[in-house]
Amino acid sequence: MAVIEVEHLTKRFGKVLAVDDVSFALQPGTITGFLGPNGAGKTTTLRMIVDLVHPTRGTTRVLGGPYRDLARPWTRVGSLLDASGFHPGRSGRNALRVVARASGIPETRVEECLDMVELTGAAKRAVKGYSTGMRQRLALGCVLLGDPEVLLLDEPGNGLDPEGIRWLRTFLRQRATEGKTVLVSSHVLAEVEQTVDDVLIISKGKLVAQGPIAELAVGTGAVVRCRTPQAERLQQLLVSRGAAVNRLDAALAIRGPSAAEVGQVALENGVVLHELLTEQPSLEDLFLQIAGTRREA
Amino acid sequence: MIDLLKAEILKVRSTRTALGLLIAALLIAVVPTILAVLLIPREELVQTEGGLIAVLGIMPAASLVPVLCLVFGILSMTNEYRHGTVSYTYLTTPRRGHVIVVKLLVCAVIGAAVMLVTGVLAVVTAGLGAELRGVDLGLTDVSQDANWEFLRDVALVLLTTGLATSFGVALGALIRHQVIAVAGTLIWALAVENIITGLKPSVGEWLPFTVFLQVVVNTGDVEAAGPSLSSLQAFAVAVAYIALASIAAVFITMRRDVT
Repeated sequence: MAVIEVEHLTKRFGKVLAVDDVSFALQPGTITGFLGPNGAGKTTTLRMIVDLVHPTRGTTRVLGGPYRDLARPWTRVGSLLDASGFHPGRSGRNALRVVARASGIPETRVEECLDMVELTGAAKRAVKGYSTGMRQRLALGCVLLGDPEVLLLDEPGNGLDPEGIRWLRTFLRQRATEGKTVLVSSHVLAEVEQTVDDVLIISKGKLVAQGPIAELAVGTGAVVRCRTPQAERLQQLLVSRGAAVNRLDAALAIRGPSAAEVGQVALENGVVLHELLTEQPSLEDLFLQIAGTRREA
Repeated sequence: MIDLLKAEILKVRSTRTALGLLIAALLIAVVPTILAVLLIPREELVQTEGGLIAVLGIMPAASLVPVLCLVFGILSMTNEYRHGTVSYTYLTTPRRGHVIVVKLLVCAVIGAAVMLVTGVLAVVTAGLGAELRGVDLGLTDVSQDANWEFLRDVALVLLTTGLATSFGVALGALIRHQVIAVAGTLIWALAVENIITGLKPSVGEWLPFTVFLQVVVNTGDVEAAGPSLSSLQAFAVAVAYIALASIAAVFITMRRDVT
């Protein structure tokens, strides 16, 4: 059974079509990246999954039914949708205690979660004194309160410094090893690239691609990069064979032939190569290509 | 619902808003009382002996504390939207109607409690101040003579203050923008209704804040000048207003997107 099922989800705010007929299903124990530029409809989709926003059309099911029908939902689904969603005058500890009490979670768990996100030392301080990164960690601590089997994280890396981003990756990997199902949205692709199993790519409210990164990368093609003192000559040779080549001084970026084929052409024509490698497309390349194709369409 | 109730109580306890309300209410109730007891000539104090408690003690608190409590009710709801805590509130309790009902209850109790504390403190202050000036206000006589009507009036004042606080919650749920909700309500309550009541008393006496005031003011021996509903009639109308506002608040809240 899918943990999260979204069918024909559509949301219109006045004249703006924020989410347009989006459907997907997440299987248990997977980490899925929900990718798209700002304003693509990621947050609205996540908020519809947890009943904060009412769909214009379509349905969502979490753990087999509507979110609102879950008993003590915070112990089943942890959602980070707004890291600034804490009262500035309330201490970090009390912010978590409020959520814990509303969900019937014991107070001892609050201390455990503060410890997990390394905020025990700052727990007494009012949230208004927290840095953006600390608030983000507090929000992640809040998500963990009920030890939920499903995590919905909307832009969890926002405001985190490089150290914080590394911490977040470790955090997500830990959740994966615990068998949790995670849907993590981001517009910073490097943030999730090393962590996610599958991706959903949304652009202008429409889901434009979904599946494992490796499968999606098949259609996009790798780039062969090489350095040669005879760059112009090699470029001409490759272009005459139908390759797409970009040149910057002695460096070439080649789409079409494999690295072996480029090496063969160079050998046959007496072109000296100083470097030859195949570069797999990054998630960013993948996203830009898919989203770009969509835009052109 | 018990978990939600505990969470709402912790929300109130863990910020300074409720403490600020209590301090403001105490100042509003006690300072005028102290000034009156100290500054009114002794012979006038003696002349008003016996009825002074109602005038100096309950009156200032009775007319202003409900307004403060109303603002507190508005803040307790609009703060959720202003600071974004409403997302966590509805994520932990997706049945939004339950959230509104519990907030209405918690704020009603807080409003009544604040009114009780300020009223008692005002009376005690008046008594102590008068005693310092060698005047017997007849506090003992009043407590001995406390009859059903007196207790009923006190109960009505406490209930109305509680209901005014709940009314604030409902208004806050309907008008999420904090500044607009607070400013709009105060302008309506303190200016617009007064103008309407002055121009057309027969209409004004039925307006919500004038109704609240009539419950509070038309108790004991003191009768308001303009509007003429009895305290019991006014209380019944106030309850109807709050019921309507609460139902509207639940209805709107359940249908509203939290973006």
